[in-house]
Amino acid sequence: MSNLGERANVMGPQPIFARYVVPPAMIAAAESVLTMLAAGDAAGLAAMAAPSGAAELAAIAAAVRPGVFDRHGIIAQARLNDHHYVKARLHGPHAEPFTVQFRLGQVDGKWRVWEAVNLTGRRGAWTR
Amino acid sequence: MERMIAVDRLARPDDHILVPLEKMFQARVDQGYSPTNVMPHEEDFLKARLHAIAVGETQAMEAAGRTLFDFPDAPWEFQMDMARQVWDESRHAEIFIKLLEYVGSFLGEFPETEVLWSCTQIDDPACRVAGINRGLEGLACDVFEQIIRLAQRMGDAVIERAVDYVLADEITHVRMGSKWMRKLTEGDPERLKKAQDFQNNIDDLFNFQGGRTSREASPQVPLDVGGHDIEFDSTLTVAREARLLAGFSDEEIERLVKAASRSAAY
Repeated sequence: MSNLGERANVMGPQPIFARYVVPPAMIAAAESVLTMLAAGDAAGLAAMAAPSGAAELAAIAAAVRPGVFDRHGIIAQARLNDHHYVKARLHGPHAEPFTVQFRLGQVDGKWRVWEAVNLTGRRGAWTR
Repeated sequence: MERMIAVDRLARPDDHILVPLEKMFQARVDQGYSPTNVMPHEEDFLKARLHAIAVGETQAMEAAGRTLFDFPDAPWEFQMDMARQVWDESRHAEIFIKLLEYVGSFLGEFPETEVLWSCTQIDDPACRVAGINRGLEGLACDVFEQIIRLAQRMGDAVIERAVDYVLADEITHVRMGSKWMRKLTEGDPERLKKAQDFQNNIDDLFNFQGGRTSREASPQVPLDVGGHDIEFDSTLTVAREARLLAGFSDEEIERLVKAASRSAAY
């Protein structure tokens, strides 16, 4: 039996371009944002904000009570040129999940939050 | 069931990133790009463009379905045409999702905006088909013709033929829109004008701020498409031949080209 795990053995058109590899440093930056959000680390979050995202990120930080959420997960990420949108959810044993979406882009080699939106209780970022 | 539903009522998987159009444009400006959709000279053009079409076909499918539902008193033949279009658009969405995989992408790699659905927000079937079938499907003719030419330059028959197959359907959708815009407004010039104005607004929304030209006027620039070094358009082009096949008049096509070049002056 042929080995279907080998591309040469698979019939039909195969991908012509390589898949984009999501930068691990971007995922690490997103994890940092979520950890600081759960911990109520407003100063740490402010340091990670680009000027355009500072007010939105501060408002989201103010909406999270420290210590309520003990775990988080990234639900989705999508890229737009070199910036990445991350959608994530914070969970805690006694709280409704908190959903946030933010955009990360590099400034002088460091990942910064350019915009952020609180999606808790909303169907998505299209909701006005 | 509610009629004329707002964009946030569209169902999407939790793991999809949705972004309002103006925020997506701002994100591009923040990175030094034009406040438009991805342009042909950009490195990510093919993947990002095919992705935008895949989600656009999905919204077009939803739009035709909603038009069928929103206007139950429209002529039976109109409803049949809309039902047929739902089927066409669903097939197109599948084709483009497969093309995404073919170019090493996937549905969800890029964000989805609400812009196509926003063009359904009008409570008159004549305006609806003018905006969607003539405005948006006309734009699809332009976009598809350009991708076909790009695939030809790359020597890629898979993309060329798949998109050509879809373009043939889009031409029938435009013709369908022209037919119903006229039939539904027969003897009512004011309603016809309202429908044409609605379409014009949509055409203006997509004029890409001067990044849209005739095919002949598009400067050719070197482009690396996945290792293929080619010369290609630096602008989005208006597909004159496809639009003529679809039933647009020369005057309408000229208006589009002129509107785009006017916009470049700002």
